[in-house]
Amino acid sequence: MIHHVVHVTEYLYSERVSTSHHNLHLLPRATSEQSCVHEELEISPPPAMRRERVDDFGNRCTYVEIHEPHNNLRVTSRADVEVAPRAPLPATSAPWEAVRDAVRAGATAETRAARHYVFTSPHVPTSTLAREYALSSFTAGRGIIEAARALTTRINKDFVYDSRATTIATPVDEVMRLRRGVCQDFAHVQIACLRALGLPARYVSGYLVTRPPPGKPRLVGADASHAWLSVFAPSHGWIPLDPTNDIVPGEQHITVAWGRDYSDVTPVRGVIMGGGRHDLWVSVDVSPGEANKSEASPGEAQTQAQFQSSDTSETPP
Amino acid sequence: MSTPGTSLSAPHDPDAPATHAPATGPVKAYAARATPFDELADENQEIRAAWRAFAARFDALAPDELGRRWEQARHLIHDNGVSFNAYGDAKGMERPWPLGPMPIVVGPDDFARLSAGLTQRARLFDAILADIYGPQRLLDEDHLPAELVLAHPGFLRACRGVKPAGGRFLHIYAADLVRQRSGAWCVLADRTQAPSGAGYALENRIIVSRLLPDEFRECHVERLAPYFQQQRRTLAALAPSAKDNPRVVLLSPGPYNATYFEQAFLAQYLGIMLVEGADLTVREGCVYLKTLGGLHRVDVILRRLNDDFCDPLELRADSALGVPGLLQAVREGNVAVANALGTGVVQTAALMPFLPGICRVLLDEELALPGVETWWCGQPRVLAHVLAQLGEMVIKPAFPMGRTEPIFCDALDAAALGELRAKLQANPSLYVAQHRETLSTTPLWEAGALQPRRLLMRTFSVSDASSAAGYRVMPGGLGVVAARDQRHDISIQRGAASQDTWVVSEGPVSTLSLLKPVDAPVELSRGGGDLPSRVADNLYWLGRYAERADAMARLARTAVARLPDGLEPGASLIAALRAQARAAAPAFDAASGKPELFGTIGAMIFDGDTPGTLADTLRSVHRVARAIRDRLSSDTWRVITALDQEMRDAETWAAAVSTTGGVSALLDRLIALLAGLSGLVMDSMSRGHGWRFLDMGRRLERALSLALTLDATLTSAHPSESLVLESLLEAADSAITYRRRYLSSLHAAAVLDLLLTDPTNPRSVVFQLGALLEHAAKLPHLAGRGNEGVESSIAQGADTLLSHLEETDVRRLAEVDPDARRPALVTLMAELVRELPALSDALTESYLNHATQARQLARLSESEQRRRPQLSEGAE
Repeated sequence: MIHHVVHVTEYLYSERVSTSHHNLHLLPRATSEQSCVHEELEISPPPAMRRERVDDFGNRCTYVEIHEPHNNLRVTSRADVEVAPRAPLPATSAPWEAVRDAVRAGATAETRAARHYVFTSPHVPTSTLAREYALSSFTAGRGIIEAARALTTRINKDFVYDSRATTIATPVDEVMRLRRGVCQDFAHVQIACLRALGLPARYVSGYLVTRPPPGKPRLVGADASHAWLSVFAPSHGWIPLDPTNDIVPGEQHITVAWGRDYSDVTPVRGVIMGGGRHDLWVSVDVSPGEANKSEASPGEAQTQAQFQSSDTSETPP
Repeated sequence: MSTPGTSLSAPHDPDAPATHAPATGPVKAYAARATPFDELADENQEIRAAWRAFAARFDALAPDELGRRWEQARHLIHDNGVSFNAYGDAKGMERPWPLGPMPIVVGPDDFARLSAGLTQRARLFDAILADIYGPQRLLDEDHLPAELVLAHPGFLRACRGVKPAGGRFLHIYAADLVRQRSGAWCVLADRTQAPSGAGYALENRIIVSRLLPDEFRECHVERLAPYFQQQRRTLAALAPSAKDNPRVVLLSPGPYNATYFEQAFLAQYLGIMLVEGADLTVREGCVYLKTLGGLHRVDVILRRLNDDFCDPLELRADSALGVPGLLQAVREGNVAVANALGTGVVQTAALMPFLPGICRVLLDEELALPGVETWWCGQPRVLAHVLAQLGEMVIKPAFPMGRTEPIFCDALDAAALGELRAKLQANPSLYVAQHRETLSTTPLWEAGALQPRRLLMRTFSVSDASSAAGYRVMPGGLGVVAARDQRHDISIQRGAASQDTWVVSEGPVSTLSLLKPVDAPVELSRGGGDLPSRVADNLYWLGRYAERADAMARLARTAVARLPDGLEPGASLIAALRAQARAAAPAFDAASGKPELFGTIGAMIFDGDTPGTLADTLRSVHRVARAIRDRLSSDTWRVITALDQEMRDAETWAAAVSTTGGVSALLDRLIALLAGLSGLVMDSMSRGHGWRFLDMGRRLERALSLALTLDATLTSAHPSESLVLESLLEAADSAITYRRRYLSSLHAAAVLDLLLTDPTNPRSVVFQLGALLEHAAKLPHLAGRGNEGVESSIAQGADTLLSHLEETDVRRLAEVDPDARRPALVTLMAELVRELPALSDALTESYLNHATQARQLARLSESEQRRRPQLSEGAE
């Protein structure tokens, strides 16, 4: 299935920004299930310098400098992404303890590569709470995929989706106690659980295609950035899991980038000189690629976009 | 007497064998009762060969001579402002550098062995870094546990694959050494990120070699200068494109860092510019220095910032000290950073147990200089071993975790030990255990005698592409000598002292000194265009605060001297003082009468907690001066330090000072010091833009301060006005001129003429405006910054005020209306008090505005993923 993604990020500054530097993780990477047919990144005001590179995780990363004084920054990424359906999860897989031991031993190139995702990372420190929580899904000898999938379901049931309960700075242990959070938190929680058992897990940032209720027209700008995770299962590769929706990501999940946690794949990072207060507008629109090529006009997208001001960024609506 | 064949070096100076030493003396006495494991004395309590020449001369010193010289040296330390910042010490943040007069003597053979070991270790760390940031063969082949790299927060994935300048990661390497019982040195800790201490070692050398000049000369002590010359060569050679005169800067975390003094000193000595992150900007992948004259390309950065602070865009987002885009500039190959970004990953004791194996794999050599016995607890068998003998261990973090102190288990009680055991068992891989070494002792001069104290030695190496060894070791080092009975955690922050280290040589030594550079590959032109905007800003405010302090001190002194005269002129002078303070200064109620006057003046001088008081203003002088420490001559710095000292003392005895005499004496001293400061500025500062900004600050402040004073005192006529007039002349240092012109008759018009409009009086407002106008004409042009024409607008502003004053008839200013007001004076003073700050703002905004803080966007964009995306729910 081909999806046409339009992701607009706009910063409105109360005072002029004289110069800014940005690091963007916005162009979708290719994966075994996904390829990018077409992509573009439009930045306004036009950057004085722009460099594309592939980061240490294989993601596409864009460095941008703007030296033109500006009161507003607009980054629009457009991409046509073809996502292949994913084969159903294998019925059986290696016992999770065997995976843990194989990763610890690092005897194969595959397990050695997976070690990059098994240790603590900035947003996912060692968590005893997570370990205790995970263990009831990871009973002795249970297959890694089966156990991880069961854990996804438990997190989905036990945790309440609540965009007011946490901020990006809320530690995983706090989320574990609150049992509340957003997709980032859900993903970080499951990653913490898996790593606490010595199992590699990575954070995936991307988009989710939403479907309108039957009979209703699809609304532009209603889609969203999303986050999930994947767990390492030798000989099956990385198995994606979406605890926010209790599903195995398939054709409706578009991967942009992955890393150890959110901090490795922040979509728009930047340092500005000046600027005063800033407001942020984000709009994501995913439409069927073949049928509807006409994309959201910027104005249209904005009216539907979420609005966040710098005062409320820590407690989003 | 001496036994040949001591474990260290042979005697090196045939002219001064120990046999000629006097039978008594502090060194002999020390040796005779030396502890069994000592640097100076061997196990038979004989002076070791390396020390003999020194010992003979030292013991020949007259008994009081060292004490006398040491007293001088301490003044030198104080006057040079040699200091370090103690963390967590809010009040007296800057502490004098603790230096002991005794050198630590190291023989040539001992040093040669050490040097070979250190250069190998430096090469080894460089090779490990190349592997970690490259193919990671060490991890793939299990020579190094993957966790030690992959879980290390200092492993910067953003730096993976980045080619370091000159093909090297490690340019400056420091190692903390202890001597083992066998007599061999071993490494307690490695510093690979941004090692500090080389500058202190140099400062120690400068002081101790003056303290013991003959001993220094005759003992053939190896000079430190060639090491620093090599450092300059190394840095210059890193410049991305071969340049004759590459711009090298030292990137400092700023004056609040523990070792800021050293950074400023080192920058000055190396002839490179000391900058902070805010001085630099990245444009199109190149690093530039922001100066008054525009942007200047930077080629090489010697950094004293830790890795994660260097680039808030790609590394630690909350760093306000770094340069956004720096990592990209490195990636582009447009700037060299030494040490390369990411070198902190190998700065952990956890690596030590693996170094012998890695050395064989990467260098095909045996590790020559071992570390102290170390265990990384991340491996189950190792953990068991450590737990079995935990009581004898020193526990350190494997990864940097804030400011964690080593835990000395022998100092713990059973409960604390149990707690530690549990921590280790819960997260073994976070901990490293080290064997407790018994440190050697070395003599420390204390209370007129030599005392044995435990020794830790920091050594420094710099990369040297031309030598086979790859690195060059400083012949010397920073000796860190424990305080009495201090057994644990020996560090300067914890009260240890430092001592100079003398590597003695058999023959004559090179007498090169960098203080007079002969060959200066990275000498920068210090012309005006180079002046960083941040520095100009601080110079400008140094001028303003110093002048403000001067005005306040003079007003206060006059007020105190005039107290016997009655309520006036004291009350008027206090009003003038209040106007200088601008902020809410202690109020004075005239009705409460004379006894309150003294108290109010005292509060305006001493109350350091109230903004705008003299104490507060002097603190601002110190703060801005300190931020540009490297720009000030040592004489100037001496004055700044003395001013600070006066107020520090003043604060403590403020309560006790109840006599006007005491306060007057203090104010006299402050005024003399401030005059000394402005004299030094006039006499010894080169007439570049730096001086220009400082002087503009002084001129503007002096004009403003006078306007505020006149506004507060003469806008209303006063019954006892002659007293006020007289004291104003005194406070403005213009009394003699006045008396010569008008004898003793006091007229408001004549006083106003002298203080406002007389172009020959260097204290008049017109004089200041004239000087400002001259400066404005010579300001650098600001083409291409959207600020065109600012220079002329500043000049115009000064010119307008000047012509208003020149056109003014002072007799009209002095005219009094029926309400006893002077309306013309009110209007004119209001204009000055409004327009002078506006002039200052124009100047600040156009030239000095680079001080804007860079800010992070990430915190906001992080919330963008916070909406709930669901598979089958549509928008309503």
